[in-house]
Amino acid sequence: MTQRSSLFMRTLSTPVILILILACFLAVATVVNSGPFNQVVIDVLVKVTLVVGLYVFIGNSGVISFGHIGFTCLGAYATAWLTIPPLMKKMALPGLPDFILATKLPFGIAIILGGLFAALFALVVGKILMRLSGIAASIATFAMLAVINTVYSNWERVTGATSSVVGIPIVRVVWPYFLAAAAVIFIAHLHTISRSGLALRAARDEAIAASASGVDIGRERLIAFVISAFITGLGGALSAHSVGVVTPDTFYLNLTFICLSMLVVGGMNSLSGAVMGVVVLSVIIQILRQFEKGVDFGGIILAIPNGVQEITIGIIMVVILIVRPSGLTRNIEFVWRGSPIKSVSATEP
Amino acid sequence: MKKFLTSVAGAAIMMAALGSSVAKADDIIVGFATAASGFMQAYDKPAQDAAMIRIDEINKAGGLLGKQIKTVAADTKTDRAEGAKAGLEVLDKGADLVIVSCDYDFGAPAALAAEAAGKISFFLCAESIKAGIQGVGPRSFSGSVLAAVQGATMAEWAYNKKKARNFYRLLDTWTEYNKGICDGFDWMMPKLKDAKLVGQDTFKNEDTSIAAQITRIKSLPQQPDAIMLCSMMPGVVSAIKQIRAAGIKSMIINGSGVSGGYWINAIPDLSDFYVPDQGSVYGDDPNPAVNEFNKKYKAFTGSDPSSQYVYPGYVGIEVWAKAVERAKTTDADAVVKELEKMKDEKTLFGPRTFTDKIHHQNRGRYLITEIKNGKPGVVDEWTISEAIPVEYLTKK
Repeated sequence: MTQRSSLFMRTLSTPVILILILACFLAVATVVNSGPFNQVVIDVLVKVTLVVGLYVFIGNSGVISFGHIGFTCLGAYATAWLTIPPLMKKMALPGLPDFILATKLPFGIAIILGGLFAALFALVVGKILMRLSGIAASIATFAMLAVINTVYSNWERVTGATSSVVGIPIVRVVWPYFLAAAAVIFIAHLHTISRSGLALRAARDEAIAASASGVDIGRERLIAFVISAFITGLGGALSAHSVGVVTPDTFYLNLTFICLSMLVVGGMNSLSGAVMGVVVLSVIIQILRQFEKGVDFGGIILAIPNGVQEITIGIIMVVILIVRPSGLTRNIEFVWRGSPIKSVSATEP
Repeated sequence: MKKFLTSVAGAAIMMAALGSSVAKADDIIVGFATAASGFMQAYDKPAQDAAMIRIDEINKAGGLLGKQIKTVAADTKTDRAEGAKAGLEVLDKGADLVIVSCDYDFGAPAALAAEAAGKISFFLCAESIKAGIQGVGPRSFSGSVLAAVQGATMAEWAYNKKKARNFYRLLDTWTEYNKGICDGFDWMMPKLKDAKLVGQDTFKNEDTSIAAQITRIKSLPQQPDAIMLCSMMPGVVSAIKQIRAAGIKSMIINGSGVSGGYWINAIPDLSDFYVPDQGSVYGDDPNPAVNEFNKKYKAFTGSDPSSQYVYPGYVGIEVWAKAVERAKTTDADAVVKELEKMKDEKTLFGPRTFTDKIHHQNRGRYLITEIKNGKPGVVDEWTISEAIPVEYLTKK
């Protein structure tokens, strides 16, 4: 017992540092107090939530899941079903069951239910998917994403098909998103230092030895899958409330590539890597975007052509991976004191 | 670690500083939350240029309510989340009017932001019934004519002028606009005596091949007189090419989404192809004022108008400015009241009517453009015999 709480206290600095980094953004947003800048910070916090969700599964299990953004779709539409005013819902989504048509839940409860809905889906689907290994598992998750996207793009009476679903209460203040990001960082950290997380990482590094030592690989993967689905679904629900409009296409390949890139660039196998990947790339993207609009340097306006931002960020990601192949943080978690503890037996490729 | 945290804080502050600006209280500001990159730019930029021409004309004539109109802009990058940010940005810069993207799906996030802030939003050229009260709120308008009117116009014109009796309906399910064209077509069909729908099908704009759909058309016992193609850029060009390449010679009637000559190079010998246009970009408009405008547009931007979607951008500013003059203020609710009083209000590109039930046009005069051997030209004009009822449009 003493040993267990000591592990938590010893590694507590990691989530605290990451949350402090996000708090910087919250602080600056509060000081600047501008609508568009708030939106930028909200975007960063939502991406942090999504990428942390991806890390919980991909980082610990070693299975690259291309399909996790499917959970964002589930979470986003779930919160839409629960928060759109009943009158609008009846007109736009008549196929929903009556008890959903009649409800209008507050934002805080709806996003958690959105996450739980995604987690439930993951539990059912994961029981089958988690028996697969390696590339087969990755492709199977991608198939899951494609199925979710196709169903949501065609089930007109329940999801509005490809039409934009409007009416979702828009939340433009930053602190709920910050709270959610902080909460999921803690959840991810608790999972990482837990027995299940350790067993999963053992299976990631040496599957046969882990299995021989009594690790039930399928079970540990399923636990990580469900937790990561909850986090990613929560992120999707938050994303819906930040824009006010959802369509299935928003939660498909584009978002998948962006989130996976941020995770890989930051460091796939560490929580710090997940957060830093989002933070660093988002800051660079935002600065590039400002240059696209034109920056006034005391009279001289410096501007880059539209579209250069996307090309530049791609080049920057390639350069980062060339210089640091295992990501920006080299899979080392941030700690406050002493020598950095390698959180996982990170093997340099 | 401290150094690291300070550098993160510094980066965040830099992000904020680069993007801030101050709004002055006594200008009239029009904010453009439109696409300067991504595929919507092809629709947004021309309409925005026309809007700027109108603003320029107003400013040269003394301004609006005696004040000059200033413009601010933010790029939506043809992305919904960015669209929301762009809307917030122009509002932050003090916009009294927010002009949003040409398509409901892509313009809605910015329009919703404007609605929440109590400002009027105008869709540059959106043609879905949702681009207005029904899909945004009571302060949202569109400068164009409903897609449904286009479908109904083409059906009625083909029936009356080309004696078409057998119709085939081919719908691209990608956007509200496409569905709107076919909704109008569906509404008009029962009103045409002896007109028959011999078949219908759907495809997705991003499908590279519509071979299956074409096979079904070719296996009909008799080729249809007219194919109603409810689609838009970019996938529609490939669809048309495949239809003609398969040897289907039926006349193809469309919505305005294929307006313009810029894409005809892809199908150089296209014939029997008809498009509704609010005005002609080919220099042969029956109204000389339109041809004059085209010359002004060329002088302003350096090239001819690319499609008829240039015109609603001009009309939007035209009617809003008139309403502001009549209301003697830019206050949103007062201007909305004046706009809703407009009935058959004359504009450079046709009459405009707004009511408290619909902030869009459910009837309009269209020029019929024919493409013959790859050359476009106006051949006729048509106005549907009755306005499409609002209840029909909202039920869809």
